Amino acid sequence: MSNKNNEEPVYVNKQGLRLDGRKVDETRKIKITSGVLPRADGSCYLEWGQNKIIAGVYGPREALPAHTQDPTKANVNFVYRMASFSVPDRKNPKPGRRDIEISKVCGEAFEKTIFLEKFPNAVIDIYVEILDSNAGSRVAAITAASVALADAGIPMRDMVAAVAVGKAGGHILVDLNKDEEDASDAVDMPMAILPSTEEIVLLQMDGVITKDEWTKAIDLGLKACKKVYELQKNALKEKYIQAESSKENKVE
Amino acid sequence: MSKRLVVPGELVSEEAKRTGDYVYSQNGKIYAACVGLVNDESPVADVVPLRGKYIPKINDIVIGIVKKEEFSGFMIDIAAFYPSFLSKKEFRYSLRPGEVVSVRIEDIDETHEAKISDVRTQQGGTVLTITPVKVPRLIGKSGSMLEVIKKGTQSLIVVGRNGRIWVKGGDINLLKKAIEKIENEAHLSNLTQKMEQFFIENPAKITESLAQNETDQKRRLYE
Amino acid sequence: MSTKEDIIWELRSEEVLKSIKQGKRMDGRDLLDYRTLKIETNVSENADGSARAFLGESQSITGVKMIVDKPYPDNPDEGTISVGVELLPLASPTFESGPPKTEAIELSRVVDRGIREAKTLDFKKLSLVAGEKCWVVFIDSYVINHAGNLFDTCSLSSMAALMNCRVPKLEENKIVRGEFEGKLELTNLPILTTFAKIGNQIVVDTSYAEEKAMSARFSIATFEGKKFSALQKGGHGSFTQSEVDHCIDIAFEKGDELRSQLKKFAGGKR
Repeated sequence: MSNKNNEEPVYVNKQGLRLDGRKVDETRKIKITSGVLPRADGSCYLEWGQNKIIAGVYGPREALPAHTQDPTKANVNFVYRMASFSVPDRKNPKPGRRDIEISKVCGEAFEKTIFLEKFPNAVIDIYVEILDSNAGSRVAAITAASVALADAGIPMRDMVAAVAVGKAGGHILVDLNKDEEDASDAVDMPMAILPSTEEIVLLQMDGVITKDEWTKAIDLGLKACKKVYELQKNALKEKYIQAESSKENKVE
Repeated sequence: MSKRLVVPGELVSEEAKRTGDYVYSQNGKIYAACVGLVNDESPVADVVPLRGKYIPKINDIVIGIVKKEEFSGFMIDIAAFYPSFLSKKEFRYSLRPGEVVSVRIEDIDETHEAKISDVRTQQGGTVLTITPVKVPRLIGKSGSMLEVIKKGTQSLIVVGRNGRIWVKGGDINLLKKAIEKIENEAHLSNLTQKMEQFFIENPAKITESLAQNETDQKRRLYE
Repeated sequence: MSTKEDIIWELRSEEVLKSIKQGKRMDGRDLLDYRTLKIETNVSENADGSARAFLGESQSITGVKMIVDKPYPDNPDEGTISVGVELLPLASPTFESGPPKTEAIELSRVVDRGIREAKTLDFKKLSLVAGEKCWVVFIDSYVINHAGNLFDTCSLSSMAALMNCRVPKLEENKIVRGEFEGKLELTNLPILTTFAKIGNQIVVDTSYAEEKAMSARFSIATFEGKKFSALQKGGHGSFTQSEVDHCIDIAFEKGDELRSQLKKFAGGKR
């Protein structure tokens, strides 16, 4: 943002490092904690660089009002919202068109993985609140929501892991931060996959790229998603492993 | 300690085993459908879930709460997706909203709505809760864990598969702590021994006379 | 018929009543004991000030954003504040997404009055150019987990976020994002103390089950020097004058306790 009037910065230097010192295929620091909300059926707190996100899942529960019910399967209701203070300028708390579109595509990213047909007339509510943001909040939201769904014990075929790839200063990069997104040739391509089959369940892009750049981007994106998936797995298992080790301490 | 922790999508077995709950098959392999435990030595490929809501199964005994009275029957909340309807034709006694009953799931229709029977009212007492998928640990192998808890707390206990536990008398505070311990350590092994030790260290403090509770109970059927 | 609320809470409310009649609370607290307060600050870097408050398992996050706007024509030489509370649907199975419902509006207005009427922020000092530009301080709270007493929880996170707030740097009355000019000045620390009438007893800091059993609620915003800046009675039941007198005395005491805890948690940083 502050570079607007200056020359374009060097997005990848001679050592192959980015503005914040990351390698081209490296994500920002990701920290995931599952089961943080006592009243929700499942929940997750996630920090992804400066992004801070809380996700809560309720359901499956009866879809209300009744006309929203589908007798063949459950609905997925994904609600992505940003806190008023989560962006540099105060955001109007009322959901805008961006919130609504993101909520729709993120919800659809989960429809293949959840065994929806097991729960006719039900709804699975996924609420995601962005508390702090700096580029890539929707992929962070999907990553958090997937952990919250698993934490709720909702039957799923697979986790959903997400990352954004893109372009800045002619370089294909994984997980662009805000400074990189402000590049004049910036491309932002959020994607989400089912890690075990690599099926793509969310894909968006804005900006201009060539076929060759796309190939490189999707390849880097798939690899980064796999890394995100490892972190999701660890977060879900950590809770139980912790309980085990604390138990052993007590015996001492 | 041959139990393995898995998350959805992780491989459960590459062998062509019989499949149980919370797994699915794809390309001849069996995968987990939820967070839970896998026993690789078991002949059945299944996952014992560690989180999740109650899904009614035929013959489950569950604890219900009377939600409201309608003209021809009662709506009973059994902590499932839908309340169950109990017809006055099948149950001749009167029930008040808020009353606690134990019921058996007789049948389930395609939308998971459960038909209930064998209704018994549970007078007095209170209802505690546990994550429904952890109920088997609370009961233990052929009821062994439940015996340890009943002995340790001197409480009357009826465990519902829906994660509701009707309790009366004895040391309820100790019972709450015991249930919390099982909730937190359900994925660990040797839990029954650990609970025996727990009750040795924390003997029950009985304030109310249990005998009084038992006379209260006499009028009703009780398992 | 909604299945959103677990009917078990209705049962618990009967137990709460029985137990409170004997002067005992289900979680072992005395009638006038608060649950453990915990405050975390700097929960959002994009906020000018932010904090998360826990009262037992109840949890809310407040972020403060200062923006430059035009003053109201009737107070051309004053800035102003805006207080909002959102009951996030992830906080309770009973909360729904959508525009704020009456519950959230009452809650935010009570928190607002406590701060506004105590003159915690000097509105005159928030003026930049009389009649043209002033600071508007947005204090937005989000309830993350509902385990009872959201009034006090939101009041505490709001005050902690204000204590944590830095004033954005201005260049020609435009905000330079990411740069600050010292801390936001607060003249006092008003805090809500909320009472509930359960049976014929008065308790503070209600749990979720206790709120199901209460007949009426009463909130008092107190600040330093044994003064109070807002009162609000809610619920279908009633209080007698002597009960309100009693509540006010207790509120001064509890307010002082909570304030000293707030200072400990949110005082020094930033």
